[in-house]
Amino acid sequence: MIYSFWMYDRHCECIYSRDWHRSAAHEDKEDLQKLIYGSVFSLRNITRKLSDDDAFLSFQTSKYKLHFFESPSNLKLVLITDPMMSDACNALRQIYAGLYVEYVVKNPLSPIEHPRGTGVDNDLFNMGLDSFVRSLQGFA
Amino acid sequence: MSYYLALLSRQDKPIYELKFGSSRQGGDGQPHFDKAMDDLTPFVVHAALDVVDDVQWTTPAMYLKTVDNFYSYMISAFVTAGNIRFMLVHETKNEESIRQFFLDVYDLYVKTLMSPFYRVTDKIQSPAFDTKVRALARKYL
Amino acid sequence: MSKVRSVGEEVWKHKTDKINSELLTLTYGSIVAQLVADFDHDYAKVNKQLDKMGYNIGLRLIEELLAKTGLPRCQNFRDTAEAVAKVGFKMFMNITPTISNWSVDSKQFSLVFTENPLAEFVELPDKPNARDLWYSNIYAGVIRGALEMVQLQVEAEFVSDAVQDPSLPTEIRVRLVKVLEDEIPPGED
Repeated sequence: MIYSFWMYDRHCECIYSRDWHRSAAHEDKEDLQKLIYGSVFSLRNITRKLSDDDAFLSFQTSKYKLHFFESPSNLKLVLITDPMMSDACNALRQIYAGLYVEYVVKNPLSPIEHPRGTGVDNDLFNMGLDSFVRSLQGFA
Repeated sequence: MSYYLALLSRQDKPIYELKFGSSRQGGDGQPHFDKAMDDLTPFVVHAALDVVDDVQWTTPAMYLKTVDNFYSYMISAFVTAGNIRFMLVHETKNEESIRQFFLDVYDLYVKTLMSPFYRVTDKIQSPAFDTKVRALARKYL
Repeated sequence: MSKVRSVGEEVWKHKTDKINSELLTLTYGSIVAQLVADFDHDYAKVNKQLDKMGYNIGLRLIEELLAKTGLPRCQNFRDTAEAVAKVGFKMFMNITPTISNWSVDSKQFSLVFTENPLAEFVELPDKPNARDLWYSNIYAGVIRGALEMVQLQVEAEFVSDAVQDPSLPTEIRVRLVKVLEDEIPPGED
């Protein structure tokens, strides 16, 4: 089961998020968004300390699994699923290379930096992401 | 043997002019027009433009060969697709060499045209263009 | 290091859409000529504008490069130089500038171009100060923008250009200012 997808830019700003299945009650989305970033940020720093320049791929609890991919340009992609889901780093990489770069970066009218609030708002990206995530094994 | 080359814009203004002499058969490469002719060359070329206007529609070729005469002088012409006229005043009939000369000058002209700072009506002031045209003159005429 | 070269060649061969180089040359040429006209031959301003445009392009191009090559983060600035010359320039311009003149502390290098598709056919305007114009200055901006996205703050500038004087090489000097720290989310210490 795939719950949600989050994307953070190099300025720690959440530039995109999307829910598919609501998991638990998390009313305060902004709060959650910050918590996710905080945990991802710390875990990544720990793994980097432990072994030089190595990122973590996922972590899980009994109810969730969080998958993580970071580009060398510090764009961070997070997918939250149920714990049964197999590693989705590759899928996140595909979202980065096939959707984000194609539809957002290469679209000259879509901003590349997102100061305060303006996130990715692009129909092609929205639709592409939706159909890609729905096609992943273990989506429903 | 002396030659006068002029490139004329669509508005019939010269954008490049060169007088030179043959380097063949012991020629020194310098023009030796007699005094009267020396001053007349631009006018001779201008007069020939009317003929070019007529002749250019009779052939798909850019090289129109000799289009006009003035006493012992011949005037050959070459018209680019952009209607820039290359005119050459010369004394002997030498179609093949002149054709090749025009073609190579055309090549140089196109390169000049490709430079972003050159506008199509400008005089060609590039020293590189001048040097290369002189080299072509030595090679062919 | 030959691995980097083959990455560049692979991407160029199989993953890059190509366009006619004259179309690019003429498009770039008309941009520069227009800037020169708009700024009334104030070449310092034109250089700056080209750098700015390049910077904005660089911010995007780097993502394309990373996405298509899957290159990992560079370990040191020497790797970065290799990636810029042999992957970046290869995949976007199909040229591979030579890397030379490393400074002792490995924080500065030069990119020397034997060919430059942007400057084909170019003859500088017939003005006394035309030599102030760095015709291909967009490159400098692209390098600066692209490297900033991978946490490298650099300065890049032309030191000589064959367009100005055919007896000189076309050379861009790149200086590492600092490696940028990861930004920390507000409110976290």
